[in-house]
Amino acid sequence: MTSNHARRSRLPLLSFLTLLPACSSADLTIASKSFTESIILGEIVAQHLESKGLTVDRKLNLGGTFICHQALINGQADVYVEYTGTAHAAILELPTERDQAVVRQQLDSIYRVNWDLEWTEPLGFNNTFAMLVRGADARERNLRSYSDLSALAHVWKPGFGYEFVERADGYPGLTETYGFRFVAAPAVMDLGLTYRALADGQVDVIAGNSTDGQIEALDLVHLRDDLEYFPRYDAAPVVRRAALDEHPAIRAALLELGGTIDDATMRRLNFLVDAERQPIREVAAQFLATLDGSNLVPNR
Amino acid sequence: MIEFFEYMWATRAEVLRHTVEHIGLVGVSTILAVAVGVPLGVVITRRARLRGPVLGVANVFQTIPSLAMFGFLIPLPFIGGIGARSAIVALVVYALLPIVRNTYTGITEVDAAVRDAAVGMGMTDREILRLVELPLAFPVMIAGIRVATVIGVGIATIAAAIGAGGLGVFIFQGVSRVDHLTILAGAIPAALMALILDGGLHLVERRLDWRRKRT
Repeated sequence: MTSNHARRSRLPLLSFLTLLPACSSADLTIASKSFTESIILGEIVAQHLESKGLTVDRKLNLGGTFICHQALINGQADVYVEYTGTAHAAILELPTERDQAVVRQQLDSIYRVNWDLEWTEPLGFNNTFAMLVRGADARERNLRSYSDLSALAHVWKPGFGYEFVERADGYPGLTETYGFRFVAAPAVMDLGLTYRALADGQVDVIAGNSTDGQIEALDLVHLRDDLEYFPRYDAAPVVRRAALDEHPAIRAALLELGGTIDDATMRRLNFLVDAERQPIREVAAQFLATLDGSNLVPNR
Repeated sequence: MIEFFEYMWATRAEVLRHTVEHIGLVGVSTILAVAVGVPLGVVITRRARLRGPVLGVANVFQTIPSLAMFGFLIPLPFIGGIGARSAIVALVVYALLPIVRNTYTGITEVDAAVRDAAVGMGMTDREILRLVELPLAFPVMIAGIRVATVIGVGIATIAAAIGAGGLGVFIFQGVSRVDHLTILAGAIPAALMALILDGGLHLVERRLDWRRKRT
């Protein structure tokens, strides 16, 4: 019954309302950290819950780990996707633990007791440090694992970001575990530039992120961490238990998303947004559409 | 505060090494920027048509984000790659604008009567430039170099992003460690360096001005 005029004038009003503090009537609020992958995951979760008939408020691009965590504790948000390794080290401040079952059990119990939060089903990928080499080198020399790399380290030059060199669970422990003896001290530089330097042949091996969209785009290969040196950073939605009690449909919906995004899929989604500049909403919708008919049963 | 001095003392060898690298980066890039920028500034006082394009390009250079510039430089032979060369190229590019503009402004602001007198004495254009215009424009040119140097000290901290060392190493390390002491170990020496160079060049500028007024 609304006239054209009324419909037009409502748009600016709506966009203004989203700036107001949360007094929304939505069923739940979804947050994300402020980087591409986290925003994509927040959007996927949001759209999937919407397809179940829930109304969702988006607080994507909210901030860092601590801000998202705090938002859940305060009840300003109900869901965000966190990484097991990040929560274990940065939030719980526990020493590095490589047994994933132990990590998961610690996360489950401490989150429940301290904050009444619940870790749900992991989405399926592990965004960890990734030793990357040029695809041509990997094929020519038949490189598959980090152990294969140690035979070449004495003639290869590494390039790393500052964080990787500084962290105890980064470069220092890596050389110890695999016995790497590189020909030169690593060139330490901005993480993003290490990709360029590798593609251009200035360095021969770098430590990137395993779900980075540039890996396929630059024809790089992620070697296998055969001695399981790097801790796992499995992505999984963290939810306020109060919200789960109020809307039981959330748990079922998140269970359906479990295991649907492997490393390669996450790399592709990141690539579509970062390199091809596709809108996150569309990338998320396309991804969810591919799930239709497999393990998803949308009830709309 | 005491904590900071203890940290600086404990890492003094590194602080010194990165300070020397930093001075090297700023020094080499400023000298190169003067070598390129001053002739460019002179040329655009003689060829009015080039003025817009040259100042425009120098202006655009200023707006290129440093990481993007490094991204372009890595694949380039001779001037690019990782390490000091790319960093110096970027610093030169950022230093050009104040040097070119002040050279141009300094020369065009020379009193027309003075230039007429020089022409009347039968000087060639080259003599006018060398004996009249450049000496009179010198204080303004030095002011431009001063601005370029001080900005350069700040910008040179991003050289650490491409493996060229300098005091930025502490800043990048500190950010990734979330440790403000390490960040300050880079930021404070860089700030002191900027203040000292600014003061030093200011003295040169004033001395030149004073001599001009006496003669």
